[in-house]
Amino acid sequence: MPLQLSLQQQSFLHEEEKTQIKRAQQDPRFFAPLYERYHDAIFRYVYRRVDEEEQAYDITSSVFVKALQALHKYEYRGLPFSAWLFRIAKSELYQSFRDQKAKRTVSIDKVVLKQVIEEWTEDYTEHDKARLLLALKDLKEQQLQLVEMRFFEKRSFKEIGEICGLSENNAKVKTFRAVLKLKDIFHQKE
Amino acid sequence: MIQILLDRKEPSAKEVRAHQNFEEILAAHRYQQQVNNPWRYWLYATIGCFLLFLV
Repeated sequence: MPLQLSLQQQSFLHEEEKTQIKRAQQDPRFFAPLYERYHDAIFRYVYRRVDEEEQAYDITSSVFVKALQALHKYEYRGLPFSAWLFRIAKSELYQSFRDQKAKRTVSIDKVVLKQVIEEWTEDYTEHDKARLLLALKDLKEQQLQLVEMRFFEKRSFKEIGEICGLSENNAKVKTFRAVLKLKDIFHQKE
Repeated sequence: MIQILLDRKEPSAKEVRAHQNFEEILAAHRYQQQVNNPWRYWLYATIGCFLLFLV
Protein backbone atom coordinates (compact mmCIF):
# COMPACT_ATOMS: atom_id res chain seq x y z
CA MET A 1 0.00 0.00 0.00
CA PRO A 2 1.51 3.38 -0.96
CA LEU A 3 2.49 5.69 1.82
CA GLN A 4 -0.21 8.32 2.19
CA LEU A 5 0.60 11.33 4.32
CA SER A 6 -2.23 13.25 5.95
CA LEU A 7 -2.44 17.02 5.38
CA GLN A 8 -1.35 17.53 8.98
CA GLN A 9 1.77 15.33 8.46
CA GLN A 10 2.58 17.10 5.17
CA SER A 11 2.32 20.50 6.80
CA PHE A 12 4.55 19.29 9.66
CA LEU A 13 7.20 18.08 7.17
CA HIS A 14 6.94 21.36 5.29
CA GLU A 15 7.48 23.41 8.44
CA GLU A 16 10.38 21.15 9.46
CA GLU A 17 11.98 21.70 6.05
CA LYS A 18 11.59 25.48 6.31
CA THR A 19 13.36 25.36 9.68
CA GLN A 20 16.16 23.24 8.19
CA ILE A 21 16.60 25.70 5.30
CA LYS A 22 16.80 28.66 7.72
CA ARG A 23 19.43 26.87 9.81
CA ALA A 24 21.42 25.93 6.68
CA GLN A 25 21.32 29.56 5.49
CA GLN A 26 23.11 30.50 8.72
CA ASP A 27 25.55 27.57 8.74
CA PRO A 28 26.09 25.30 5.69
CA ARG A 29 26.81 22.29 7.93
CA PHE A 30 23.07 22.17 8.67
CA PHE A 31 22.38 21.53 4.99
CA ALA A 32 23.11 17.82 5.62
CA PRO A 33 19.49 16.67 6.25
CA LEU A 34 18.32 18.44 3.07
CA TYR A 35 21.15 16.84 1.12
CA GLU A 36 20.24 13.39 2.47
CA ARG A 37 16.57 13.91 1.56
CA TYR A 38 17.05 15.02 -2.03
CA HIS A 39 20.40 13.65 -3.19
CA ASP A 40 19.03 10.38 -4.57
CA ALA A 41 16.17 12.04 -6.50
CA ILE A 42 18.50 14.62 -8.05
CA PHE A 43 21.06 11.96 -8.95
CA ARG A 44 18.40 9.85 -10.73
CA TYR A 45 17.03 12.89 -12.59
CA VAL A 46 20.56 13.61 -13.87
CA TYR A 47 21.52 9.97 -14.47
CA ARG A 48 18.55 9.36 -16.80
CA ARG A 49 19.68 12.29 -18.97
CA VAL A 50 23.41 11.64 -19.38
CA ASP A 51 25.22 8.70 -20.95
CA GLU A 52 27.90 8.07 -18.33
CA GLU A 53 27.40 7.28 -14.65
CA GLU A 54 30.51 9.23 -13.61
CA GLN A 55 29.16 12.31 -15.38
CA ALA A 56 25.93 11.95 -13.42
CA TYR A 57 27.88 11.93 -10.13
CA ASP A 58 29.90 14.99 -11.18
CA ILE A 59 26.85 16.96 -12.23
CA THR A 60 24.96 15.99 -9.06
CA SER A 61 27.89 17.23 -6.95
CA SER A 62 27.95 20.55 -8.75
CA VAL A 63 24.16 20.88 -8.27
CA PHE A 64 24.57 20.69 -4.49
CA VAL A 65 27.63 22.96 -4.44
CA LYS A 66 25.68 25.54 -6.50
CA ALA A 67 22.67 25.10 -4.19
CA LEU A 68 24.85 25.80 -1.13
CA GLN A 69 26.33 28.87 -2.83
CA ALA A 70 22.90 30.26 -3.70
CA LEU A 71 21.10 29.14 -0.54
CA HIS A 72 21.15 32.63 1.03
CA LYS A 73 19.03 33.83 -1.92
CA TYR A 74 16.40 31.09 -1.50
CA GLU A 75 13.11 32.41 -0.19
CA TYR A 76 9.98 30.34 0.10
CA ARG A 77 7.38 31.82 -2.27
CA GLY A 78 5.27 28.77 -2.93
CA LEU A 79 7.95 26.89 -4.89
CA PRO A 80 9.01 23.75 -2.97
CA PHE A 81 12.68 23.41 -2.11
CA SER A 82 12.87 20.20 -4.19
CA ALA A 83 11.72 22.10 -7.30
CA TRP A 84 14.39 24.74 -6.67
CA LEU A 85 17.01 21.96 -6.61
CA PHE A 86 15.61 20.37 -9.79
CA ARG A 87 15.87 23.73 -11.56
CA ILE A 88 19.53 23.99 -10.59
CA ALA A 89 20.01 20.39 -11.80
CA LYS A 90 18.35 21.24 -15.11
CA SER A 91 20.56 24.26 -15.60
CA GLU A 92 23.74 22.31 -14.71
CA LEU A 93 22.73 19.52 -17.10
CA TYR A 94 22.23 21.87 -20.04
CA GLN A 95 25.50 23.63 -19.23
CA SER A 96 27.34 20.31 -19.50
CA PHE A 97 25.58 19.55 -22.81
CA ARG A 98 26.67 22.95 -24.12
CA ASP A 99 30.23 22.33 -22.93
CA GLN A 100 30.04 18.89 -24.58
CA LYS A 101 31.02 17.22 -21.32
CA ALA A 102 27.96 14.97 -21.44
CA LYS A 103 25.76 13.57 -24.17
CA ARG A 104 21.98 14.16 -24.05
CA THR A 105 20.42 10.82 -23.26
CA VAL A 106 16.86 9.61 -22.78
CA SER A 107 16.49 6.51 -20.60
CA ILE A 108 13.32 4.53 -21.22
CA ASP A 109 11.94 1.31 -19.78
CA LYS A 110 10.74 -1.06 -22.51
CA VAL A 111 7.50 -1.68 -20.59
CA VAL A 112 6.63 2.03 -20.69
CA LEU A 113 7.56 2.22 -24.37
CA LYS A 114 5.20 -0.69 -25.06
CA GLN A 115 2.38 0.99 -23.11
CA VAL A 116 2.73 4.19 -25.17
CA ILE A 117 2.70 2.28 -28.47
CA GLU A 118 -0.29 0.15 -27.47
CA GLU A 119 -2.28 3.33 -26.84
CA TRP A 120 -1.65 4.47 -30.42
CA THR A 121 -1.71 1.27 -32.45
CA GLU A 122 -3.64 -1.98 -32.34
CA ASP A 123 -0.66 -4.16 -31.57
CA TYR A 124 2.94 -3.69 -30.56
CA THR A 125 5.65 -4.63 -33.08
CA GLU A 126 9.42 -4.12 -33.21
CA HIS A 127 8.85 -1.81 -36.19
CA ASP A 128 6.58 0.42 -34.05
CA LYS A 129 9.22 0.54 -31.36
CA ALA A 130 11.85 1.71 -33.85
CA ARG A 131 9.38 4.31 -35.22
CA LEU A 132 8.69 5.72 -31.77
CA LEU A 133 12.39 5.96 -30.96
CA LEU A 134 12.99 7.84 -34.23
CA ALA A 135 10.00 10.10 -33.54
CA LEU A 136 11.38 10.98 -30.10
CA LYS A 137 14.62 12.12 -31.73
CA ASP A 138 12.65 14.49 -33.97
CA LEU A 139 10.97 16.33 -31.08
CA LYS A 140 12.18 19.77 -29.99
CA GLU A 141 14.14 19.75 -26.72
CA GLN A 142 11.35 21.33 -24.65
CA GLN A 143 8.77 18.90 -26.02
CA LEU A 144 11.10 15.98 -25.34
CA GLN A 145 11.57 17.13 -21.74
CA LEU A 146 7.81 17.22 -21.16
CA VAL A 147 7.21 13.78 -22.71
CA GLU A 148 10.18 12.38 -20.77
CA MET A 149 8.95 13.67 -17.42
CA ARG A 150 5.30 12.77 -17.95
CA PHE A 151 5.56 9.33 -19.56
CA PHE A 152 8.96 7.91 -18.75
CA GLU A 153 9.27 9.32 -15.22
CA LYS A 154 5.56 9.46 -14.34
CA ARG A 155 5.73 12.94 -12.82
CA SER A 156 2.60 14.92 -12.02
CA PHE A 157 1.76 18.06 -14.02
CA LYS A 158 2.27 20.09 -10.85
CA GLU A 159 5.82 18.75 -10.48
CA ILE A 160 6.57 19.21 -14.20
CA GLY A 161 5.35 22.80 -13.96
CA GLU A 162 7.52 23.48 -10.91
CA ILE A 163 10.64 22.07 -12.59
CA CYS A 164 10.05 23.84 -15.92
CA GLY A 165 8.83 27.13 -14.45
CA LEU A 166 5.28 26.74 -15.77
CA SER A 167 1.88 26.78 -14.09
CA GLU A 168 0.23 23.37 -13.63
CA ASN A 169 -2.32 24.16 -16.37
CA ASN A 170 0.33 25.41 -18.75
CA ALA A 171 2.39 22.26 -18.15
CA LYS A 172 -0.70 20.16 -18.94
CA VAL A 173 -1.41 22.04 -22.18
CA LYS A 174 2.21 21.98 -23.35
CA THR A 175 2.58 18.28 -22.56
CA PHE A 176 -0.64 17.53 -24.45
CA ARG A 177 0.72 19.43 -27.50
CA ALA A 178 4.07 17.64 -27.24
CA VAL A 179 2.32 14.26 -27.21
CA LEU A 180 0.22 15.25 -30.24
CA LYS A 181 3.39 16.25 -32.07
CA LEU A 182 5.06 12.97 -31.14
CA LYS A 183 2.01 11.03 -32.33
CA ASP A 184 2.05 12.94 -35.63
CA ILE A 185 5.73 12.21 -36.25
CA PHE A 186 5.18 8.57 -35.24
CA HIS A 187 2.41 8.12 -37.82
CA GLN A 188 4.40 9.95 -40.53
CA LYS A 189 7.25 7.47 -40.11
CA GLU A 190 5.06 4.56 -41.28
CA MET B 1 21.96 14.30 -31.43
CA ILE B 2 20.25 12.50 -28.61
CA GLN B 3 20.91 8.97 -27.53
CA ILE B 4 18.12 6.66 -26.32
CA LEU B 5 18.93 3.91 -23.86
CA LEU B 6 16.44 1.15 -23.16
CA ASP B 7 16.09 -0.69 -19.84
CA ARG B 8 19.19 0.92 -18.43
CA LYS B 9 20.33 -0.40 -15.08
CA GLU B 10 20.26 2.26 -12.39
CA PRO B 11 22.64 2.10 -9.41
CA SER B 12 20.92 1.28 -6.11
CA ALA B 13 20.37 3.94 -3.45
CA LYS B 14 23.11 2.28 -1.39
CA GLU B 15 25.61 2.48 -4.27
CA VAL B 16 24.75 6.13 -4.87
CA ARG B 17 25.18 6.93 -1.17
CA ALA B 18 28.51 5.12 -1.07
CA HIS B 19 29.76 7.11 -4.04
CA GLN B 20 29.08 10.60 -2.71
CA ASN B 21 28.82 12.19 0.70
CA PHE B 22 27.91 15.53 2.18
CA GLU B 23 31.40 16.22 3.58
CA GLU B 24 32.83 16.34 0.02
CA ILE B 25 30.12 18.78 -1.03
CA LEU B 26 30.76 20.97 2.00
CA ALA B 27 34.53 20.96 1.32
CA ALA B 28 33.93 21.93 -2.34
CA HIS B 29 31.58 24.70 -1.23
CA ARG B 30 34.17 26.08 1.24
CA TYR B 31 36.89 25.98 -1.42
CA GLN B 32 34.62 27.87 -3.86
CA GLN B 33 33.87 30.45 -1.17
CA GLN B 34 37.60 31.01 -0.65
CA VAL B 35 38.26 31.28 -4.38
CA ASN B 36 35.35 33.67 -4.90
CA ASN B 37 36.28 35.92 -2.00
CA PRO B 38 37.62 39.21 -3.53
CA TRP B 39 39.24 40.22 -0.22
CA ARG B 40 41.90 37.58 -0.61
CA TYR B 41 43.55 39.71 -3.33
CA TRP B 42 43.74 42.64 -0.90
CA LEU B 43 45.24 40.32 1.66
CA TYR B 44 47.92 39.09 -0.77
CA ALA B 45 48.67 42.68 -1.83
CA THR B 46 48.92 43.83 1.80
CA ILE B 47 51.26 40.95 2.69
CA GLY B 48 53.37 41.71 -0.42
CA CYS B 49 53.64 45.42 0.49
CA PHE B 50 54.49 44.56 4.07
CA LEU B 51 57.28 42.21 2.93
CA LEU B 52 58.64 44.88 0.55
CA PHE B 53 58.58 47.40 3.35
CA LEU B 54 60.56 45.01 5.57
CA VAL B 55 63.16 44.43 2.84
